[in-house]
Amino acid sequence: MSAADFLDQWFETDVLKATMSASGIIGTFLGVRSPGTAYVLLHHYMGEIDGAFRAWGFSRGGTGAISNAIAAAAREAGAEIRTQAGVERILVQNGRAIGVVLEGGEEIRAEVVSSSIDPRMTFEKMIGERELPGDFMEEVRRYKYRGSSGKVNLALDGLPEFAAIPGTGRHLRGAISVSPAVDYMERAYDQAKYGEFSRRPYIDMVIPTLTDPSLAPPGKHVLSCFVQYAPYNLKEGTWDDKRDEFGDTVVDTIAEYAPNIRSLIIGRQVLTPLDIERSVGLSEGNIFQGELSLEQLFFLRPMAGWARYRTPIRRLYLSGSATHPGGGIMGAPGRLAALEILKDIGK
Amino acid sequence: MAAVRDVVIIGGGVNGLVTAFYLARAGRKPLVLESRPVVGGAAVTAEFYPGFRGPILAHAGGPLLPQIERDLQLEKHGLSVVEPEICVFAPSPDGCGLLLRRDAKETARGIAQFSARDAEKYVEFSALLARYGALLRQLLSLTPPVIAKPGSEDLWNLFRFGRNMRGLGKKDMMRLLRYGPMAVADFVAEFFETELLRAVIAARGVLGSAMGPWSAGSTAHLLLQAATDSHPARAPWFPRGGMGALSDAIAAAARAAGAEIRCDAAVEKIIAKDDVATGVVLKGGEEISAEAVVSSADPRRTFLELCDPSYLGPDFLVKIQHFRGKGTLAKVNLALDGLPQFTGLVRANGARAAQGSAGAGSENAPAALQGRIHIGPEIDYMERAFDASKYGAFSPHPWLDITIPSLADVSLALAGKHVMSIYAQYAPYKLKDGDWATRGDEFLKTVINTLAEYAPDVPQRVLGAQLITPVDMEKEWGMTGGHIFHGELSLDQLFTMRPLIGWARYRTPVRGLYLCGSGTHPGTGLNGASGANAAREILKDSAG
Ligand SMILES: Cc1cc2nc3c(=O)[nH]c(=O)nc-3n(C[C@H](O)[C@H](O)[C@H](O)COP(=O)(O)OP(=O)(O)OC[C@H]3O[C@@H](n4cnc5c(N)ncnc54)[C@H](O)[C@@H]3O)c2cc1C
Repeated sequence: MSAADFLDQWFETDVLKATMSASGIIGTFLGVRSPGTAYVLLHHYMGEIDGAFRAWGFSRGGTGAISNAIAAAAREAGAEIRTQAGVERILVQNGRAIGVVLEGGEEIRAEVVSSSIDPRMTFEKMIGERELPGDFMEEVRRYKYRGSSGKVNLALDGLPEFAAIPGTGRHLRGAISVSPAVDYMERAYDQAKYGEFSRRPYIDMVIPTLTDPSLAPPGKHVLSCFVQYAPYNLKEGTWDDKRDEFGDTVVDTIAEYAPNIRSLIIGRQVLTPLDIERSVGLSEGNIFQGELSLEQLFFLRPMAGWARYRTPIRRLYLSGSATHPGGGIMGAPGRLAALEILKDIGK
Repeated sequence: MAAVRDVVIIGGGVNGLVTAFYLARAGRKPLVLESRPVVGGAAVTAEFYPGFRGPILAHAGGPLLPQIERDLQLEKHGLSVVEPEICVFAPSPDGCGLLLRRDAKETARGIAQFSARDAEKYVEFSALLARYGALLRQLLSLTPPVIAKPGSEDLWNLFRFGRNMRGLGKKDMMRLLRYGPMAVADFVAEFFETELLRAVIAARGVLGSAMGPWSAGSTAHLLLQAATDSHPARAPWFPRGGMGALSDAIAAAARAAGAEIRCDAAVEKIIAKDDVATGVVLKGGEEISAEAVVSSADPRRTFLELCDPSYLGPDFLVKIQHFRGKGTLAKVNLALDGLPQFTGLVRANGARAAQGSAGAGSENAPAALQGRIHIGPEIDYMERAFDASKYGAFSPHPWLDITIPSLADVSLALAGKHVMSIYAQYAPYKLKDGDWATRGDEFLKTVINTLAEYAPDVPQRVLGAQLITPVDMEKEWGMTGGHIFHGELSLDQLFTMRPLIGWARYRTPVRGLYLCGSGTHPGTGLNGASGANAAREILKDSAG
């Protein structure tokens, strides 16, 4: 069932349905009328991965704090954490993971290697076909990423004012969603299907400086915009050529609701799916390390037959969003993977 | 008042007639009540223009499940089937074309003209579909189990199915699980690179449905269809005389077994007393009492129109109201003054073989046109056609699935003339601007113009045209929403969920009232399975 069909059973107000339907498409390459999106929507409302889309580490505010707290807990429990330590390769000997090599060449031997990056990066980049069965690599290549969203961060001279509710009151403190109608959402998707970014995208905005003023100089603000759809694969041109055009589209769209936005912008950062792939190492810029489509969930995530965090390489595990139950900041894949690892090493 | 009848069956479509046959064979005395002047429902042949007869709605389908075919012995009742060697001819806009034949290896030879890789994959794909089809076929004749509390028979069936599924091997089995929920566009792309080939095969996953090739779950639709016919693009199965000949033969078999059939007998109400069905009232007021009532009308018509809401309870009613089924397929029947010339045929792969000589002689063209003709050159074309329907518009460039039944049966048209039968998708039940009464002609023109891009002489050959929209299907055939399968065949409305979770075993909240039409499992078209399954359950109840 689609998110739109599902919501039709409950509500009649178009803008309400449109706004709620957004939860059914975030991180997917699906539209609100696509079958299966009702499931994704319910997944969010179960509270499991809600909010994830505002959380992936570009704004230093809220999410950074969560990560720091988890890191502190891990350290306290005895874990060691090194940053600025990019792993380049996973060392495999006789079908067993024996350690990693860092970007600078440093080699670290280990009993167990657990990778929380996506399967493409793990198997194609860090290990290579030679160490892996052909069937398995076929499945790795089939696993779909299809990043469909971008991010625009605006540095503002003041607060935007929305025509719908004048003033700068409490309504700016939560999420601000540009999702005026179900058809609007669906049309945004239609363009993406044919390899273009949405001319009028779905935008989910937050102003983190309203809760944490330290993020900007006094009186200034940050507007962080999650934008869908921005397909990783463009039919014409490249994201490097289209980045600015995409940024303009986002600003133009916001301006239709908050006319003063243009005059407030003092800085702009546009992150396309390609940028997200390059900077964060998420294949095709998919924020959930792989599309949340039905054929890539549960026991099929990431690959049928390999959904239990293990891999064809002994002592190598997957523990990221690409494993069940999937994306978000809830940490469930990490915990479940740890349990499996402990089982295997008999502790 | 007349005596109490044994069983009345509402609707004399293929499923209603199959149920009647099985009940009669078991010694029951079914009475079929059909509102139209003829039996057949969606499978009818009629004159639509003076001197021209054709399959008014469905033009292909079947075959019936093998067991049903054996039981009904339709050849004995006058059925003769045409199974052309060339299954599909798919022209492309650049004047080329693709021919898919019954035999996979021979088809592959033709595909090699487009892509050597696809040719190889096609053989592999055919074999895979045959394996999946054989497995899924067993599901068609099962009564969906009660998942929470399966009975011993359910467990045995599931066990057998599980065992056969394991017989597929781990790799095929895992893949099947992955394929089901996938978009059919992704599914075909895993095998093929030629757009035209992708589109021809994917089309089956969206037939009659409110899905496009990029809709999740459209692969499940395709796989279910493959359960009756596992040819990658459907192997045509045409009763001589049009689909009505199939219905007539089933009706004859049912009568021979002892069923009674009344046409022009529209049921207006189902009557129940103390939650037990006691009969029906016909339009005009005639009341017929019966021990059991079986409805082949769609679930929404049966429960929301024919039943009094007090029989059902609010929870059930709300769920039935949400049963999704808004038709997207319109039917166009054309009377043509001659056989149209398809440009793509001359350069189609293997066309030479089809024509038997190097020349583009039209005398041999009929062989290539005897199957189905597919107009929908690429996945994006199909998806764009679908896009329009999401916003309540008909496709400016629709996907067309065409047959020319007069090639196999010349008696359907005047001498030298032809009948062309066209499924045109997407034509949404509800238009956003205007309605079908005022915009039908515009759509008809769109269909003919689309066709003219591939067969330029079609417009001047048209003597007469008939358009049947989803709204007409609802009005004339009683299909709520004009949905050709009485309701979407989407993942959430299949098997144990068709029409509703808890009510997928042909029984209803009203004791003695049963469903047997397309709105029940499997509901996948003209294979008779829904009708046969329902009969089995009805007989079980009366035995116990
Ligand atoms: C245009 C079209 C194209 C199709 N193409 C294909 C195809 O290519 N392949 C395929 O497999 N399937 C196809 N189908 C689907 C297939 O024809 C149906 O699934 C099948 O015919 C369903 O049979 P049925 O007996 O369940 O219902 P129907 O054929 O719909 O029969 C129901 C009958 O009940 C009667 N009825 C309804 N209400 C009442 C009432 N109140 N009182 C008395 N009688 C009533 C109707 O008049 C009708 O005769 C197509 C259908 C259509 C309409």
